[in-house]
Amino acid sequence: MTPLDYLLLLSLLTVAIALVAGHRSMGGVWLTFSYAAQLGGLLLMAGLAQPSDVITSSLGFDILGQTLTWRYDALSWYFALITISAGLLSTMYTAGDWGEKFRADGGNLWLLHVAIALNVLSMLILLGSGDLLTLFIGWELVSWASFLLMILAGGPSIQAALRYITYAMGGAMAILAGLALIYGHTDSFAYAAVANTLQSLSPAHLWAPLLLLTVGFGVKMALLPLHLWQASAYAHTPGPGAAFLGAISSRMGLYALIVVLIQLVGLVRVIELPVLFSFISARDVLAWVAAFTIIFPTFTALRQNDARMLLAWHGIGQGGYMLLGIVMGDALGSAGGLMHVFNHATYQAALFLSVAAVVYRTGTADLNRLGGLVVRMPLSFLAMLVGIIGLAGLPPMNGFVSKWLIYRSLMLEGEPLLFVAAVLGTLGTILSVYKLIHNMFLGQLRVEHENIREAPWSMTAPMLILSVVVFITGLMPGLVLHWIAGIQATVGLPVIDYSLGGLDSAQGSLDMLWVVGVLFAGFGIGAVLFYSGGLTHRVHQLDNYAGGHFLSADIRYHYSDNFYPGLMRLIGPLYRYSFAWLESAVQSGLGLLSLSTQGFYRRVAPSNYALVTAVLVLLWVML
Amino acid sequence: MNQIVLIVVLPLLAAFLVPIVARMSETLGAALGPLVMGVCLWITGTVAIESAGNAFAINIGGFLPPLGITFFVDRLALLFAFLTALLVLLLWPFQGEHRPREHALTLILAAASGGLALSGDLFNIYVFYELVSVASFGLVATGNRSAAPAVRYLILSGFGSVLALVGIALVYTQTGTLNLAHLSQLAPTQLINPIGLAAFALILLGVGVKAELFPVNTWVPEVYATAPNRVSALLAGLVSKLAALVILRLLVLVFAQEQALLVMLLLGLLGVITGELAAWRAQDMNRMLAYSSIGQLGMVFVAFSIPGETGVFAGLAIALHHLVVKPALFLLAARWGGALSGLAGAARGSLSGALLFTLFALSLVGVPPLPGFWAKLLLVMGLAEQVGPLYHFALAGILIATVVEANYLFRIVATLFRRDNPASPAPEKHSGSDIATAGIFGAGLIAAVLLLIPLSQSLKTIAQQTSDADAYRAVVTLVPTPTAPNWRPAAISGDTP
Repeated sequence: MTPLDYLLLLSLLTVAIALVAGHRSMGGVWLTFSYAAQLGGLLLMAGLAQPSDVITSSLGFDILGQTLTWRYDALSWYFALITISAGLLSTMYTAGDWGEKFRADGGNLWLLHVAIALNVLSMLILLGSGDLLTLFIGWELVSWASFLLMILAGGPSIQAALRYITYAMGGAMAILAGLALIYGHTDSFAYAAVANTLQSLSPAHLWAPLLLLTVGFGVKMALLPLHLWQASAYAHTPGPGAAFLGAISSRMGLYALIVVLIQLVGLVRVIELPVLFSFISARDVLAWVAAFTIIFPTFTALRQNDARMLLAWHGIGQGGYMLLGIVMGDALGSAGGLMHVFNHATYQAALFLSVAAVVYRTGTADLNRLGGLVVRMPLSFLAMLVGIIGLAGLPPMNGFVSKWLIYRSLMLEGEPLLFVAAVLGTLGTILSVYKLIHNMFLGQLRVEHENIREAPWSMTAPMLILSVVVFITGLMPGLVLHWIAGIQATVGLPVIDYSLGGLDSAQGSLDMLWVVGVLFAGFGIGAVLFYSGGLTHRVHQLDNYAGGHFLSADIRYHYSDNFYPGLMRLIGPLYRYSFAWLESAVQSGLGLLSLSTQGFYRRVAPSNYALVTAVLVLLWVML
Repeated sequence: MNQIVLIVVLPLLAAFLVPIVARMSETLGAALGPLVMGVCLWITGTVAIESAGNAFAINIGGFLPPLGITFFVDRLALLFAFLTALLVLLLWPFQGEHRPREHALTLILAAASGGLALSGDLFNIYVFYELVSVASFGLVATGNRSAAPAVRYLILSGFGSVLALVGIALVYTQTGTLNLAHLSQLAPTQLINPIGLAAFALILLGVGVKAELFPVNTWVPEVYATAPNRVSALLAGLVSKLAALVILRLLVLVFAQEQALLVMLLLGLLGVITGELAAWRAQDMNRMLAYSSIGQLGMVFVAFSIPGETGVFAGLAIALHHLVVKPALFLLAARWGGALSGLAGAARGSLSGALLFTLFALSLVGVPPLPGFWAKLLLVMGLAEQVGPLYHFALAGILIATVVEANYLFRIVATLFRRDNPASPAPEKHSGSDIATAGIFGAGLIAAVLLLIPLSQSLKTIAQQTSDADAYRAVVTLVPTPTAPNWRPAAISGDTP
């Protein structure tokens, strides 16, 4: 029995606990402890930093002439850490009052627990894949586990989940086709054999499997133009489930892409691989897909009026940053991309949990029906504040560090256009996260929310833990960069030269300890000036006036709808919804084809077909 | 080991006895059929153990082929004989309205199916095939709902028989024999030519009617939608596979030529695409299952068109998987008739039914680690190993069809579990026997996951044995060639192997 066996067994045990005790009131607590045990098991495996450090599982068997194996290296470990932590915190959140209310509202709490446990287990299996076949098996398990999590709420989530599974199946079949093409060349799915064959393939032969695999894995990452499913599917998942999915689910696509693009094909090969009849390389294509994945979904997020949809759209855009950083292929960019996986998971989970807390208290996530909750729910506000600073990529939170690394890499690699695209995405992010926090927590309190209290501690605790992590890893990014360096060594990327406060190398230096220190010194001076004057005066939140007039609570002056009208006048016409149009066109085309095939089967005189075919075949034979 | 002949003789005999016995004693009449099928199951099992996987041939009446009638018994034949008895037993029409008649017809179907699995010559295959047709017409018509689909089936099937007969006649004029082993000897010299190909195409189209081959499968949706669900289950699960088995035998032994594979590949691919596409917009569950069945059988044909053992292996895996899944789905559909939208919230009425449906849907789509995934993987690997754009094109077609399949199957799963309008009346519950039988199939599917490695190995052995034409010829003792019939047309001579 290796540590990996114990980890997988613990995860299996968690699923069993969820199955047996998921419907009990203490079930959530037991599950939280079992996720904590998984996390402990994972931490025992820490130290996977060198390429030679691999923990294999004794699970493995031969079937159909193929050997299936599972093993963990630094890359798997890093993603597994995020997965289990996301499972732990979202279950902790579910375990208390949130779960009780979910059940009271008619939700199936048992199924939610089971689904999250299954998601964690399937992701751990995927992350351990030791060959392309186990990668595909893990991939499918993850896809269907997410489907269960997405659909269990019923109602509008059903449509979203069905859309997801159609995209996911399309992606999976693209992957299978890619694997088949590779298998046709190698007769094996083992990583070593595949890597060898791919090295020797000519560019023309490499393109097809590479494209198929990228498209397939890109579906889960919601790369453009395969992104339409994600926002609604995540947003309609019950609160903690959405936090879990938003934190890690779509990153599985990134994991698989790293395995294929970097470990098997080799990034050098991707950089050299030319697009036929043009002067751009495969890497440029990927980088620009990533850039468009940053821009379009982020600006779509800007127009959302549901907090969960807004966050989910941002999740798509942030995935673009990760891919963009990784395909740059240098030490800084790939470190930034990999680090952003962790950072995004932490702040995105905090944001989703904070929104879920507001929904728990107010019953809505509609940005036009909220406002002024900062005094009523200060801890949720704090979590959201920390989260949006991280999401926008501003200091002192961790999102700043990873984005800084990516920007730096784009500049060093001589990609000014991509840099502009990335900054444009950040601009959209800042605008929309301000809309988020303003419409929910700032401004006028609605009368019906006057007696709202902060969410119970079982919900605030996970949010605050995440906020602390977001801040600490922003203050000391070296903690995460330590793992990143291990991954870079393992997968064969240049290794970043990091320090506790950031990085200190020839390519640039950043010391977050100083940055944060200066920042807080500034805040400190401001706070001293603000509070020492003795000029502040506390009033009730509904006691307002404007322009010399008292405003009673029934006068709505909280400006929430049609946010940024000036900006929208400028860029509004650019929203063409072309992808949605394309999707519906494919759907209609399929419907038309389907009807015509049904017409074929409904024909009255069926023997004609047989006759015609017989004659045709005979003719073919004669000729 | 000659008692294997009894699996054809006993049900046939019982079929004639059932109406008489039922007149004397109703219970005895009702019990006779299942009893006989149980005996068949037992006989097949003992023969399988005795033969220990070695193929052997039985010459009825001691006449040596090519004059005598031969039963060829290898692993594949035994497997299908066993599955025939098992499936007929599981899908036995216990609750039919016209019991003696249905029982007799089902017994005839069982006998003929066993015969199809065992027959070693083309003429017998034709006879048993016709017997299957007759029995299935009768069973389809017991539905009483509408005669039109049954008539449609009758016409198409009759036309198919004519085509097959012409094909067999072509083979006979060319070689002067109908024994498969003998044909296999003569084929390289006398059937690898346009006439052989034409004969194959005609037989393919003829037998393809039962095997739901495109484009002679237009009877499928209407018949499955109107026939009693147990009959649909038998036709889709068992009869189609036996017809495919006949084509497989012919392909391996007699018509092993590239163009024959090409025709199968094309027609199979068209079946996959049209079947899955039509299922996408199907309005009720029975029709959807029928279209999906066309798609699955198309996959079987695509698999068989891969030359060599790989194709046989993949095709058998898909066929066996479908043989387990589709009958169970038809049983579940028995109470889920009418428009698909009317099924909203059906899980409230019958949770176990909805869960079983989900399990089978997952396996059909090919979600690992369920057996459907491994079957599909075999096909994908087999197609990928082939050179030639057509095989890769077929691969793409099958994968796209899978996406469509996942979409419509899970649209139904989502409908079943819908909870939003608890006011609407829940659809009827399943009858206990339907759920129990479907549950047995589901348990079989789960057991297959647990026994995946030994199962895949034994299926591989079966595929090896099946695809080995030399071994087949070696088993069947032919009359020494000098005494071979000399009454053949003089124009065609030279039958030395």
